[in-house]
Amino acid sequence: MSEKSKKKILVVDDEITVCKSIRQAIVSEEYEVDTALSGEEAVKKDNENAYDLVITDLMMPGISGLDLLKTLKEARPGVSVIMVTGYPTIKTAVQSVKLGAFDYLPKPFTPADLRGLVSRAFKKAEGAGEGEVEAAALRIPPGYYYMLGHTWLKVEGDHDAVVGVVHDFLKTVGIITQLELSKKDDTISQGEVCGKITAADSLVHRIWSPASGRVIEANAKLMEDFSMLRRDPYFNGFLFRIETSNLEEDVKGLILAK
Amino acid sequence: MKKLALSPTMKVVLKRMDSHSMFRKFLDLPLRIKFILSFLVVISFGGIVSLFFGTRLEHRTIFSLAQAKVRHDLASAWTVYNERLNDIRDIVFLNATRDSIQQALLAGDRLVLERTLDRVLRDFHLDVLTVTDGQGKVIYRVHQPDVHGDDQAGDALVGRALQKETVIATEIIPRSELLKEGKDLAERAYLRFIPTPKAAFRPEDHEENGMMLKGAAPMIDELGKVVGVLYGGILLNLNYDIVDRVKDIVFKGERYKGKEIGTVTIFQNDLRISTNVTDEKGQRAIGTRVSQEVYDAVLVQGRPWVGRAFVVNHWYITAYEPIKNISGKIIGMLYVGMLEKPYIDLRNNVMLTFTGIAGLCAVSLLIILFFITSSITNPLRRMVLATKKIAQGDLNHQVQIGSKDEIGELARSFNQMTENLKAANENLIQWGKTLEKRVEERTTELREMQDFLVQSEKLASLGKMAAGIAHEINNPLTSILINTHLMLEKLEKKDEFQENLSLIADETSRCSQIIKGLLEFARQTPPQKVLTRINDLIDRTTQLLENQASFQNVRIVKDLDLTLPPIKLDKSKIQQVFWNLMLNSCQAMLKGGQILISSRLSADKKYIEVRFIDNGVGIPKENISKLFDPFFTTKGSGTGLGLAVSYGIVQQHNGKVEVKSEIGQGTVFTLSFPIEYQTQNLPIKGDTGE
Repeated sequence: MSEKSKKKILVVDDEITVCKSIRQAIVSEEYEVDTALSGEEAVKKDNENAYDLVITDLMMPGISGLDLLKTLKEARPGVSVIMVTGYPTIKTAVQSVKLGAFDYLPKPFTPADLRGLVSRAFKKAEGAGEGEVEAAALRIPPGYYYMLGHTWLKVEGDHDAVVGVVHDFLKTVGIITQLELSKKDDTISQGEVCGKITAADSLVHRIWSPASGRVIEANAKLMEDFSMLRRDPYFNGFLFRIETSNLEEDVKGLILAK
Repeated sequence: MKKLALSPTMKVVLKRMDSHSMFRKFLDLPLRIKFILSFLVVISFGGIVSLFFGTRLEHRTIFSLAQAKVRHDLASAWTVYNERLNDIRDIVFLNATRDSIQQALLAGDRLVLERTLDRVLRDFHLDVLTVTDGQGKVIYRVHQPDVHGDDQAGDALVGRALQKETVIATEIIPRSELLKEGKDLAERAYLRFIPTPKAAFRPEDHEENGMMLKGAAPMIDELGKVVGVLYGGILLNLNYDIVDRVKDIVFKGERYKGKEIGTVTIFQNDLRISTNVTDEKGQRAIGTRVSQEVYDAVLVQGRPWVGRAFVVNHWYITAYEPIKNISGKIIGMLYVGMLEKPYIDLRNNVMLTFTGIAGLCAVSLLIILFFITSSITNPLRRMVLATKKIAQGDLNHQVQIGSKDEIGELARSFNQMTENLKAANENLIQWGKTLEKRVEERTTELREMQDFLVQSEKLASLGKMAAGIAHEINNPLTSILINTHLMLEKLEKKDEFQENLSLIADETSRCSQIIKGLLEFARQTPPQKVLTRINDLIDRTTQLLENQASFQNVRIVKDLDLTLPPIKLDKSKIQQVFWNLMLNSCQAMLKGGQILISSRLSADKKYIEVRFIDNGVGIPKENISKLFDPFFTTKGSGTGLGLAVSYGIVQQHNGKVEVKSEIGQGTVFTLSFPIEYQTQNLPIKGDTGE
């Protein structure tokens, strides 16, 4: 790829070693990676040089990660932002996603985790332009709750709910080669990993649970045929059925599809 | 006996009663003495007054009766007296009309006169019988024939007889005349005064004249011419015929204690000349005189006199009336007297009887009073005693009074009051005990709350620390992890450092997991509660655990109450608690053993209790208080958060965790969850966020 086609990534963290490590993990022929040690510096650099992706720490002195996210999204809504946090809480994670972050990643993580995420971010940005037909064919059905670009939740009865992955997410993943999911009776929490998808490019993608609860039934058919996830993500391609434990609170952090 | 005991007090009391404060002191006296004194005063006053008036009334009645009698007796005495006088008239009249006597007079035949009249004198017990001629000259004196020839026409009675009148009267005969009528008569009349204390003063010391019942009748011839007068009489001096006759007729000789009851006396002037009043020696009291008082009334003023009189040496109830001569001049008195002593004695007897009855009544009253006051004061004393006992705190004391009067009523009320007091006291004691119990309960509650707060504080500080640590450590871990992976990527697959780097990467990930657990614990996310059957959670947990290797030697026994109501629980968290507790038990029974899991309602039915009973090694006492502290562990492995997290979760459910353990015997964990769940959670400071 030419210099010009290189994706520009800005890594923001108040610790220089972290910045360097992240940079080393993702720097490649495809990606040009800059670093900034504060929110202020990041804003300045972004003004000089519009980045395709910003990876920012959530907790920083001065302008915080969330403030930076807001500033960036206000200036350029098309920019992708990945939040990295050393002290992850569901609240902040959900908040970030609501504010338009592509995804978030709790520290510490492996280069593979980060690369998968970056790749998805770019694929999504690209997909918005390319796969119009597929995108149009698939919409999140009304009445579904969802985490932007991640998972959905369909409430059934008072407590039970069905959990699945939204098509936006799957679009960025590509061909699924491996699927790891929480098992029956496992306890899952909103905003935490409830499964992992390994794609054909061997990148690993974490699936965040949209709600807290206990798995009462994993989708056995899905485990036999991963393609169902892509083909019918909102019905037969669901992940599992859960018994929710804090539904009322959980839905506040989700978006209701119309 | 009681009276004896009282009397000294009364003496003292009486001695004291001399001041103006007597009444106040009286009021201070014991009730019984007050009663008795009051009654005594009333009885004495009443007794004295009634005795006084009774005596007076009786005196008046008896004495007026006596006086009426004595008046009557005097009238009787007069009858006897006048009868005697009439006898004399009859004698002189009859003999004056006798022819033989006229003949003899006319003939001057003294012999015939002597013979005829001498017999008359003797037969009729006359002292004097004398015949005069038509001019009053004495012809013949029967009693003293030698003396004659003297003129008796000057005599009041003879003078009247010379006028053809037959007259009788009591007359004073001077000594000179007496000597003519008979020397013995003059002697009889002569009396020396015996000194009498109350008598009127008289200059002379004797009496020489005599007093005589005298009658005179004319002797009239055929031509109607007075030819002579016959007069006769009885000298009253020392003549006791009349007085004794009156005594016999009127008083019938009655005697009282050796004394004549009735006495009769004829006084010549104020001198007793004929009487049956006796002196100390029993002699007739001739020669004594009447008292000045009677003298003035009867002899001077001429009134009859009735009343008490001291006669010679005794008191008499007496009546005096004057004796008058033919010309109406008072010359003496007739007296009747009754000895006062029988009346006095009668009166005294009556009085004595009255007094006796009154006394008897008083004594009876006092006795009655004594018992009545006893019936008042004894219960009162018992009640005072009871009051004292109650004051000393003996509330079981009851006053035993069976009577149904006001005092009985009082006693019953008192007992009722005591019972109420006792009940109130018991209530108070009960209340005190309850209070103590409640204070104890409250203290326990407070201690539990304090334990809870301490635990919460621990969690809170730990939360803050964990948040800081997580943030600070995750950054270097990120660097380590990324760089390790980057190195691994660059190395040949069979490089000698491959293994080392993988180890670093894995251990870094483990660090991250530890921190995650710490955060999880410290964050204390609010429980997500749904109505759950707790037995289901127990079943599910045991199912999961049975497949675990560490449970291979452990038998799980369940004793579940299937009727328990569903309660609101965070299933996953409670399951975590059960897991932790069972894991804990298993680790205490490395050589195998049994866990008994039971569920049941608490005794007060407000809680569901879940118990985990193992027969493991037990927990040393010093460790029990630290058991729920974060990072406290006796095991080589583990984070020491399991029980701390469990504790926090149970607290979030408003539940309680209790631990009992015996070294070598085993451990019992008891979890209590309230059935009526209160929605407001206790604040957990550990819930920190960004």
